[in-house]
Amino acid sequence: MVHLSNETLSELLDGSPAPGVQEHMASCSVCQGELEVLRRMRTQLRDLPALDPPPDLWSRIEERLPSGRERRWLGRPGPVTLRVAAMAAVFVIGLALGQVFQRGESASDVAQPVAGAPLTVVDVEEQVPPASLVDAMAEVRRLASEYDSALINLQRMAQGRGAPGPSPLARQRLANLEALVEASRAALATDPADPMLNSYLFTAVAERDAMVSQLASARGSGSGVVWR
Amino acid sequence: MVELSEASLVRRARSGELEAMRQLYELHASRVFTVVRRLAADDEMAADLAQDAWCNAFQKIREFRGEAAFGTWVHRIAVNTALTQLRQRARRRDLEQGFDGRSTLGNPDRQPASAAVERVTVQRALDMLPDGYRSVLWLHDVEGFTHEEIGARLGIAVGTSKSQLSKARARLRALVMESRTEVVDHGASQ
Repeated sequence: MVHLSNETLSELLDGSPAPGVQEHMASCSVCQGELEVLRRMRTQLRDLPALDPPPDLWSRIEERLPSGRERRWLGRPGPVTLRVAAMAAVFVIGLALGQVFQRGESASDVAQPVAGAPLTVVDVEEQVPPASLVDAMAEVRRLASEYDSALINLQRMAQGRGAPGPSPLARQRLANLEALVEASRAALATDPADPMLNSYLFTAVAERDAMVSQLASARGSGSGVVWR
Repeated sequence: MVELSEASLVRRARSGELEAMRQLYELHASRVFTVVRRLAADDEMAADLAQDAWCNAFQKIREFRGEAAFGTWVHRIAVNTALTQLRQRARRRDLEQGFDGRSTLGNPDRQPASAAVERVTVQRALDMLPDGYRSVLWLHDVEGFTHEEIGARLGIAVGTSKSQLSKARARLRALVMESRTEVVDHGASQ
């Protein structure tokens, strides 16, 4: 008699036997025995006792943990991530403006998306509030990416369809950046050492100054603001 | 009154309190060490893995949202830490892949053995399995992972996971039988 292969017995043990296997099992005591051995071995594996770690393991872990005040920042993003997140937060302001602009266009006025640059519309009001800092940062990154796409379309529409010039939008963006600077300063007043808040303030101030500079040069040359 | 609930320990650990971290460690140290020791089959490596797993957990503790129990969360980190390092170890040396377990098919009659001997032999046999076999076997049969989950964690196809599992079972069975034979022979010669 040909007995079942290990693979088939293994499938049988997991409760998913191939057709015809049960018939063989009903008449083969050798395979019945094999299955029973496998079943018992699995039980023995599950019954293996829990093990105690070496007594010095905690002290080894403790040595590797940051000390004192540094532990307060455990799990928080590093400086590079913070900077990216801060930049992205500023971009989101632009994204909101881009949406305002896009909503102002009637459906027939909206330029057709150019191949490779799909028109992106994001309804910020419909976004689910992020559950944690990590979620919030991921959402900010996603929005920043969508903002880039929206911006490309915005520029194309402005150039190709005679859409409203960006100056009012730029002024609105400047106002939002001012608000962000003030909000960051107010938050920092409660915790001046917070690296995240410092990073946000730094980036917001830099963005605002760049915007002011662009507006000034645009006024001087009579050209539109270059969107960054 | 001292707050002793796990949620409160997690909250305090998140704010950087070392004593809370130590208490969380005490609560789950055995569970974490057991799983990494079973996967690694080596005491020294298991200690290193447990250390890495706990350090990873405390580094990421702000990502812990309380959706699962802390013990489940840290256990998952321990499994991932162990599998990552085992995969790195596998790259450094060839894993035994082609074991033909069919040779173990035979008379299922067993020599009588005490429960303690059985446990030791299964434990020893588990340690003797190649890393790939042992990982799949332990994750599936003890931790309850599906083949899809194992495939995702080990970077192998579902079919490969199933195949590895059946080979691992056959190999374990063969090792246990050999070990029992040694015990019986040794006992008879005394």
